[in-house]
Amino acid sequence: MAEEQRPVELILARSLIANITTPGFLVDEEGIVVFFNDAASVLLGVRFEEVGRMGPERWATEFGPFDEAGERVPPEKVALTIALREGRPTTAHYRIQSMKGVRHEIEAAAVPILTVQGTRGAMVFFWLEEEP
Amino acid sequence: MRVKVWGARGSVPSPGPETVRYGGNTSCVEITLSDGTALALDAGTGIRSMGLTLGENDSRINILLTHLHMDHIQGLMFFAPAFNPTSEIVIWGPEAPDASLRDRIARYISAPLSPVEVRELPCHVSFNEAPHTEWQIGSATIRAASVAHRGPTLGYRVTEGDVSLCYIPDHEPALGADLERDDPEWISGYELAQGATVLMHDGQYTSAEYPSRIGWGHSELFDALAFARRVDTERLVVFHHDPLHSDDFLDALQGSAMDRWAELGGEPTQLEFAAERRELVVDRERS
Repeated sequence: MAEEQRPVELILARSLIANITTPGFLVDEEGIVVFFNDAASVLLGVRFEEVGRMGPERWATEFGPFDEAGERVPPEKVALTIALREGRPTTAHYRIQSMKGVRHEIEAAAVPILTVQGTRGAMVFFWLEEEP
Repeated sequence: MRVKVWGARGSVPSPGPETVRYGGNTSCVEITLSDGTALALDAGTGIRSMGLTLGENDSRINILLTHLHMDHIQGLMFFAPAFNPTSEIVIWGPEAPDASLRDRIARYISAPLSPVEVRELPCHVSFNEAPHTEWQIGSATIRAASVAHRGPTLGYRVTEGDVSLCYIPDHEPALGADLERDDPEWISGYELAQGATVLMHDGQYTSAEYPSRIGWGHSELFDALAFARRVDTERLVVFHHDPLHSDDFLDALQGSAMDRWAELGGEPTQLEFAAERRELVVDRERS
């Protein structure tokens, strides 16, 4: 059964993310990951089609992020959360964990998708700090 | 509802002997509802001719603008009811972050592009940003949705009883998407157009032209066909013809469209190319 039609701004953002080689994620206004691209699936060790949509709690459980001490980053300090709540681009440095338990040190940039109807979601991009 | 095409050309008016059959006027479609209410979908140069045919009983007219590119608003300044003090014109259009609909339209209806200002128009004119929920005009329910084009752009669905006309004249749903395989939630315009009795949709470019125009906001013809099949419309009217496409060229294009349409499982009677002055009756028996 099809989900409700997505706003055109999210549709266009998904098209962008699907066609680039930077690991990228699309999150809706509720903070649910509704898409990530093939480059991101290499980091996470799983394809989006295999896991489907993921809420913030499940995402945190599966992938992190973690700080330098290996502790989970509190939700309010995650770049994505700040982008969605405050409507401003945010960058952060932390670690994520793949489905296979491999940890990657990354830079993350979260960009909110702001429209005349308010915040529609956010795009998040990762850059590897070091090769795994 | 009755539908009449007053302009089916895209981008820029293209009058001349080579465009007399499909027409050279830019986007405008008149809808007359069963209760007599008159609607205009877009106000390209075609609305000038439409305005000349409206009678005294058409003193209130709703104009639904998909967006404010010139080929969709240029006729406003030449729409006869705008200069009739007894006319009431209600203009609907997309919301934008930078200015109100009235102020954005006033950029055109003002010096140096126009000899008159909006405030000087003799008619009673009002401007409404299209709501994000359905609303009623006369006997029809109207729905608007943002669609993939350059800048804030809407498609409209006009529903009266059990029939509906969906109008998306400027639309590039295949931009970065796979119209045959992507989930419907990720296809621009899907929900708006799904199951429409008639879909009037952008089909501006040939397969040869499109690769050099990707991202311009318009559809390759075959993408328009794929979109129409995907949303399961009962009838597709290809719209927004490229100004470089002559009547003979469009005839030939329609032939190849018919072949492709059949490959996609469509019936020949479900497909046509919009032509100026073409009239359709959208109902269950006669459409």
